[in-house]
Amino acid sequence: MSIIQVTGSGKSAVSDRTPFYGARVPTEVKSMIKPLTKLEKGVFRKILLLIVTAIEGKNVEYKQIKDLETKDFQEETLCVIYSGLLKLLQCALKLPNGSLKQELFKEDLLELQIPEDFHTDISSVIFGNRRAGIDSECLKSRPRLPQVDQLKWRVDVGISTSVLNRVLEPSVLMEMTLTDGNIHTFEVPVSKFHELRYNVAYVLKEMEDLEKRNILKIKD
Amino acid sequence: MALMFTSTPSIRKAVGLINEVDQGKFPLVVSRILQKLHLKDERTFSEDEEEKLQGTLGMSGPDLELLLQTLEFFLQQSAYHTAKPAALSQQLSQLGMDQDKVDTIVESWTTKGREVIQNLRQRALMPNQLTDINWRLNLQMAQSMETKQKLPNAMFELGVHREGQEDKEKIRMEFTHDELYQFYNQLETIQKQIDGLS
Repeated sequence: MSIIQVTGSGKSAVSDRTPFYGARVPTEVKSMIKPLTKLEKGVFRKILLLIVTAIEGKNVEYKQIKDLETKDFQEETLCVIYSGLLKLLQCALKLPNGSLKQELFKEDLLELQIPEDFHTDISSVIFGNRRAGIDSECLKSRPRLPQVDQLKWRVDVGISTSVLNRVLEPSVLMEMTLTDGNIHTFEVPVSKFHELRYNVAYVLKEMEDLEKRNILKIKD
Repeated sequence: MALMFTSTPSIRKAVGLINEVDQGKFPLVVSRILQKLHLKDERTFSEDEEEKLQGTLGMSGPDLELLLQTLEFFLQQSAYHTAKPAALSQQLSQLGMDQDKVDTIVESWTTKGREVIQNLRQRALMPNQLTDINWRLNLQMAQSMETKQKLPNAMFELGVHREGQEDKEKIRMEFTHDELYQFYNQLETIQKQIDGLS
């Protein structure tokens, strides 16, 4: 029995780990490789900047891509490059900050035959100081139930009612404004308020336990 | 102790009717009224029951109505003033009620009075009342833009019962750790205020 070692396309010796973009090269990335090799660094940088603005959540207009059109590069080619680069960056950003190592990333870029000049720029997006902004935008944009925007409250003590001369019973009135715009006003009798407080404290404690346990158990 | 009942003609007539009621059936009527006293807008006896009562007590419709209303009035006033049994006994006797009827009423009041007052105390005017609290703790592992996450998440569902409507309104909201901590701090502030009252 002999062990046959299979080498890659000639550049990397170790090909048995999955690249950051997955098992197969995405179609958008494949189609952009050829035009990318002919692209100038200046135009490349501008496209990259547009992509980063888009990922950070701000609006990008089609006009901005059109403006970069030159006699060498048609609109369509620019669009192909844009979508290819976007896909590439999205795949790289999918892994959390510590997970993807820079050297391995560069190796994968080499495998894809992306010109080496562009490597530093792309790496600076993933590993540089703009990453924090991208991550926080990612957190903000996830699907969520409405959160409590504002809680107004009031503690009342009923002194007398039409049926009872001496009541002296406290109660809490809450007005909760949620992030979806709904305003809910309701009264909470003191017993229910204690229950609410107990439940919130319990969940808080469970969350803290979960976070402590987590760091030890689930590793990347 | 303030005088709860003044001797008006209708009260005198009602006392007369009360005195005529069969002693065996009287305690049941009194305890039924006490049971339903704290409920809003609910008749103590349904129409069928009132008809049956007319037969068993041997009274006409208007007389029965006067009787029941006056009894309810006596008990409502006792609740309003938080009457002691002795005071109640004395004032009822002053109206001319027979001693055994007075004793029945006072006995029922002594046993069930506290509970009735407690129920009345908790009657709220505000239609929306918080009734249910449900929650769920989640750990977000991934989303479309980022995988391999460990984000704890809590979802709360508060059931608010609106008076007069059958269904509950459910308020659903979500908290991260920080948001939940802020919410908890607000609840703590409210608690301090409540503690300051007593």
